[in-house]
Amino acid sequence: MKLKPRKHGILGAIALASGVAIALAGCSLEGVDTGAAASDDELSKVDGEISFATLELSSNPDLAAYIEDTISAFEKEYPGTEVEWIDVPFAGAQEKFAADAAAGNLPDVVNLNPNIAQPLEREGVFLDIDAADPELAAEYVAGAWEGFQVPGQEGTFGVPWYLTSEVTMYNAALYEQAGLDPEAAPETFDELYEQAAAVSTAGAGAFYGIHPALENRFMTDLAKIGVPLIDEDLVWTFNTPEAVEHVERLAEMYQTGVFPADSLTQNLNDAKEGYQAGSIAVFPSGPNFLNGIQQNAPQVFENTRVAPQIAAEGEPINMSVMGLLIPKTSENQGTALAFTKFITNAENQLAFAKVAPVLPSVTEALEDPFFQDDSDGTELSKARKLSANGLERAENLTPVQYDDQVKNAVLAKIQLALAGDLSAQDALDQAVEDANAITGGE
Amino acid sequence: MRPRRLLTPWVLLAPALAVALIFHIVPFFRTVQLSFTDFRLASGGEYIGLENFGALASSDVFWLSAGNTLLYVIVVVPLLVMLPLFLAMLVQPKIPGIAFFRASFYTPVIASMVVVGLIWVFLLREQGPVNWLLQTLKVVQGPLPFLTDATLLLLSCMLVTVWKGLGFYMVIYLTALANVPGELHEAAQVDGAGGVRRFWSVTLPSVRPTMLLVGVLSAIAAMKVYAEIFVIAGETAGPGGQVRSLVFTIREVGSGFDGQVGYAAAMSLVLFVFTIGLTVALQKLSRENEEA
Repeated sequence: MKLKPRKHGILGAIALASGVAIALAGCSLEGVDTGAAASDDELSKVDGEISFATLELSSNPDLAAYIEDTISAFEKEYPGTEVEWIDVPFAGAQEKFAADAAAGNLPDVVNLNPNIAQPLEREGVFLDIDAADPELAAEYVAGAWEGFQVPGQEGTFGVPWYLTSEVTMYNAALYEQAGLDPEAAPETFDELYEQAAAVSTAGAGAFYGIHPALENRFMTDLAKIGVPLIDEDLVWTFNTPEAVEHVERLAEMYQTGVFPADSLTQNLNDAKEGYQAGSIAVFPSGPNFLNGIQQNAPQVFENTRVAPQIAAEGEPINMSVMGLLIPKTSENQGTALAFTKFITNAENQLAFAKVAPVLPSVTEALEDPFFQDDSDGTELSKARKLSANGLERAENLTPVQYDDQVKNAVLAKIQLALAGDLSAQDALDQAVEDANAITGGE
Repeated sequence: MRPRRLLTPWVLLAPALAVALIFHIVPFFRTVQLSFTDFRLASGGEYIGLENFGALASSDVFWLSAGNTLLYVIVVVPLLVMLPLFLAMLVQPKIPGIAFFRASFYTPVIASMVVVGLIWVFLLREQGPVNWLLQTLKVVQGPLPFLTDATLLLLSCMLVTVWKGLGFYMVIYLTALANVPGELHEAAQVDGAGGVRRFWSVTLPSVRPTMLLVGVLSAIAAMKVYAEIFVIAGETAGPGGQVRSLVFTIREVGSGFDGQVGYAAAMSLVLFVFTIGLTVALQKLSRENEEA
């Protein structure tokens, strides 16, 4: 019997519908696969193969060599183990790990920062390190260890690996052109903004004192002047009188041309490029940025001076934390934990800090003379010392709930305040309301 | 013998069907499924009926995004239907060196949207070349805030979309123009028709089906606008998020471990319905024109 075209169509539709139905039946509405924590016996077993994912470390040949050497050293110390290293580009990392987590397929040791990790920590995806090894916490910088804790939950879900704590970088040549003392770095926000205004006035459009880089600094600056960002019930609370005063000041500076006109919408990269082009005088950043300046803009590097990170008296300064987390779906949590402890131990972190301008998260490594020795007189070693000494009062000031959606909602309102389209009070009230609507704060 | 004959086309079609099924059809139905849930990647979800659609209807952000997207289509589509046609007519004659101009006009098509966006950000700065030119020519007194004023930002994004799309649609028109019989132009010329008259009476009717195709393709592309806005207007989509498009908002609410995937899926479904509606409307409009 010859099938008529119409019957072909019906058959095709049935086949398609069946295929889709079968495929969708496999797509449940459950969240990520959380797996189960290994028993103490399993945790003490160090053997077999694990995968280890890092965030964009292989592009630097020295760093890549360091990671490979450390892996070899681990495999030598624990015969029978094998570590497969996967390096994931920063862009798209969250999407990749999200898909892996949904499939219960995360690498055995995964490198994440607290903000990216937090939603998964909250769902119980990662091994509780406090429970797996209660002694470990004492060895690490307290503020960094706390970065992997979830408000309202017991435990710590990652081991801090490397830290960066920003310093204030400024261009001494532009300071001189503005008639400022190039050796008198700003120590308070008042001084910073006054000096920035003087530089912008002298620049008359050719160069500016500072870029607001709202996406990078707005929230942490509020924390540094003592504004409470979010309370214990996870309700955003940053619309305080101090915050209003801060936003009013930013708005005044934007409207009077202290900030570049396009800085309202152009982001952190614009600030970085501006500093390297010699058109921005002050740029607060991690010491690792100094290498970039040295490479891309040797003249600006020569004029760059570093000073401590600015925060109001008695308030913490900011640090960024990178950590290693072990998903409970890992079939080899014992080896994963041993490797995590190995790569974050004092010796290996010190070696890491000598390859890349980052700070170790173990206190023992921080005591090494390497972090206190700035006798070569270079700004790089001075920045390293300043950064290391600042860790005592440093915290990860970005609340883990401040994800991209919250950040964009908040900054959108602050931009309106800077442009003069909304009062500082209204902008902050609306920003708090929008942020709470997104994160479920009442 | 006969079962084999029946099977052969399916075997040949299998790879393409598998790709379509895995990457298009199943994700589409999955999006429909998710749109009726409160699914988040980290925590999972439950069916919540039409709640997402109710929330969309009462969301200012959704209506702002939909309004901007519609405006984008209204401005960009007519420009992308007409300008590439003129460009194609300009580079159609086979004269020495014309291949260089064809290739030049096509170059933005193959460039990455991010690179193109960054170049335009540089050009449109308050102290950038465009403002310098406008002020030098005394067109404006002071610099125009292309990158900070919501209306100008939207127009800047549209300009980039049009500039980047010109070459692609130009190539489509070149093929269509090559198929216009030369005799028609000659006959019209003999009848005393000038250039403009020949354009209206010969060229335009001959390329009308291609214009519909370009209209539909550019409308679908405009409905999906994202990268231009992200690069030029920044991560907030301009001050106050006023320049956001539907895809921008879908990405913003749906991405990350904690993204509201169900809500984003509902918005994607609405975008799909809008796009289908627009395509059908364009086709109907063109058919009515032809019948008239």
